[in-house]
Amino acid sequence: MNQLHHILHVDMDAFFASVEQLDQPELRGKPVLVGTRPEERGVVAAASYEARKFGCRSAMPMGAAMRLCPEAVVVPPRGKRYAEVSAQVFQILVQFTPLVEPLSIDEAFLDVTGSVRLFGQPEEIAREVKRRIQAETELTASVGVAPNKFLAKLASDLDKPDGLMVVPQDGIQAFLDPLPISRLWGVGKATLPRFEELGIRTFADTRRLSEAVLRDRFGEAGGQFYRLIRGIDDREVVPDTEAKSISQEVTFPVDVDDHEHLRGVLLGQTDQVARRLRRHGLLARTVTLKIRSGDFKTITRSRTIEVGTDETQTIWVAVTALFNEWSSQQPPAVRLIGVGVSQLSNGAGQQLSLFGQEESFRHRQLDQAIDKIRDKFGDGAIGRGGVRGKDAGDV
Amino acid sequence: MQVIVNRNALADVLVVASGIASARTTKDVLKCVRLTATEGELLIGSTDLEVALRCSVRQVEVRKPGDILVPADKLTQIARESVDETLTIGVEDQVCHVRGVDSHFEVYGQDPNEFPPVPDLEGEPDAEVAVEVLCRLIDQTSFAVAKENTRYAINGVLWEKKNKRLCFVATDGRRLARAVGAAEQAGSGDASMIVPAKTIHVLQRVLANGEGQAAIRFSDNQVIVKCNGYVVSSALVEGQFPNYDEVIPKDNDKSIELSTEAFISAVRRAALLTNEQSKGVRLSFTQDKLVLSSRAPEQGEATISMRAGYGGENVDIGFNPNFILDALRVVGTPTVNFEMKETNRPGVLKAGSEFMYVVMPVSLA
Repeated sequence: MNQLHHILHVDMDAFFASVEQLDQPELRGKPVLVGTRPEERGVVAAASYEARKFGCRSAMPMGAAMRLCPEAVVVPPRGKRYAEVSAQVFQILVQFTPLVEPLSIDEAFLDVTGSVRLFGQPEEIAREVKRRIQAETELTASVGVAPNKFLAKLASDLDKPDGLMVVPQDGIQAFLDPLPISRLWGVGKATLPRFEELGIRTFADTRRLSEAVLRDRFGEAGGQFYRLIRGIDDREVVPDTEAKSISQEVTFPVDVDDHEHLRGVLLGQTDQVARRLRRHGLLARTVTLKIRSGDFKTITRSRTIEVGTDETQTIWVAVTALFNEWSSQQPPAVRLIGVGVSQLSNGAGQQLSLFGQEESFRHRQLDQAIDKIRDKFGDGAIGRGGVRGKDAGDV
Repeated sequence: MQVIVNRNALADVLVVASGIASARTTKDVLKCVRLTATEGELLIGSTDLEVALRCSVRQVEVRKPGDILVPADKLTQIARESVDETLTIGVEDQVCHVRGVDSHFEVYGQDPNEFPPVPDLEGEPDAEVAVEVLCRLIDQTSFAVAKENTRYAINGVLWEKKNKRLCFVATDGRRLARAVGAAEQAGSGDASMIVPAKTIHVLQRVLANGEGQAAIRFSDNQVIVKCNGYVVSSALVEGQFPNYDEVIPKDNDKSIELSTEAFISAVRRAALLTNEQSKGVRLSFTQDKLVLSSRAPEQGEATISMRAGYGGENVDIGFNPNFILDALRVVGTPTVNFEMKETNRPGVLKAGSEFMYVVMPVSLA
């Protein structure tokens, strides 16, 4: 890594337990253990912060956790629900950068180096990520901001829950030095005593050891320790080979209740989303319409298409159908509106269709022509007529 | 009304009839079957307003003619659970009494005048076809019917009659099955109608183990089929069936003859290493053989080689294995011909001149 990078580590706070407290308000403020009951030799999948005060931790046998905190409420895990909320969170993350590397259902690295011009300084981005997650899921996340993955993860771990910790390039050493050596990536039950034998407790202590000594003691890992202790980590953020979704949304300065205006906005967003699909050679099967009303209630409505598509027209037909459904129910004025696509694939293994080949071919030619003009003259050079949009709604 | 009826014969008819009647309906009369006793026969009718069934139970002794509506599920359960050879069914004040040697059921009935008409096939049928042929035409197409497709007209099987030639077609937009057969008797002229999937299922039950002839009425708003003592009538799927002839490839220039059994086995084995993300099985046609291969990310790969007389240029095409198997299961011939042109173009499976199946590929990476 030559250039200075800005990496975010986003970590949902006590994720499973927080989702349970969100869905079951009577659990809020109480120690909650998510997992199977001790009779079933269960382990703790997640412990709420209230339970952590008693020493309960995830991966602990449920029986042990309940001895530490007998009043804890044990809740069976609901994987499907967690996946649903997780998808919501990732949908937010990918809007800040395409470089999102999921670590698990509730944790991800983001490389926002290229997003600074769009969204502001990394710290601002982190704040906005936290705000959006809170606003859209009512859950909190802790975010670490640093020049690399190792430091970003350390930072988010140190300020939890609902934390935001920034490690600036020139503050790396000051940040690391006081930390206990157990925080070093790769140091566990087996390695910790071997550091202690050397009289080492903190990162600062370790820094006195030469690379040769560390390698001698710990082999290959020693070299890695040597670099990590100095805050050097050049692992890149690798996004999921397949992006999970592509979306485009806009927040209006004032609430909008003119549906024709909203249609126009949606058409533009549909166009953008489809173009991004084409640029990445992806096909989408699910189209989602997202609308937030002035009272901050957010609804999302999805429709799945039989075969994946990257055609503006096909996506627009789905968006229009979703919008018409929504608008037929005397909805409130709109604060935010957006179009998203998901269930993406690169087209391999795509089931082809018997009918509509001709029509599809014409849409494709139109899309390609417009894309070409835009690539050459810029996005403003050509747009889809509102009339076409209206007509499309009747298809 | 009072009848003594053979329990097995009654149960057989009721099982089919209650399959139509017991659907989720708010109208109580539609949850019923109609029993009508006349001289020498007991007529059972059921309908959901789309499909209607009437059948006469002949193993019956009618003591007193009459008419009643009885909840289909209860009467069916009684007929099935009873242990007697015959049951006596009587009606008094809209209560149906079913009596066996040691049993007496009272089931509250409904006014038979409330029941919608259940048509019979009157006059000359438009076609008479061997039950065996009708079964084949249905079995070779019904599997390809679309399920709740927004293109409404393909949620049924197209029945076409051209003089004595019957042609059934079904498609779900990704594959298309066409079966052809000859009628024994038929009025001259052309006719066509789209028969709903549900009606097709009822016909399959009615025709099962049947023999002899089936009489068919083609009309603009309903289809009526009479056979095995049953009369099935049904509304049609409205709309225009797609011009299927257009999607049948005319320029497939490569062909291979395969043993049906060996092909089924090869596809089934290749399908073992497919999954949700990579559903396709790759068919690679090369000199004198067909190689089927598949790959499931993070699980593994499969390759199956079949010796086959093929002399064309090499072609690779991917298919959903289930689409291939669906057709191979119903061809009914020891060998099939597979015809294709190139990657990402439709393949065609043929069994003689009677069955043809167009299947769209899955695109290969």
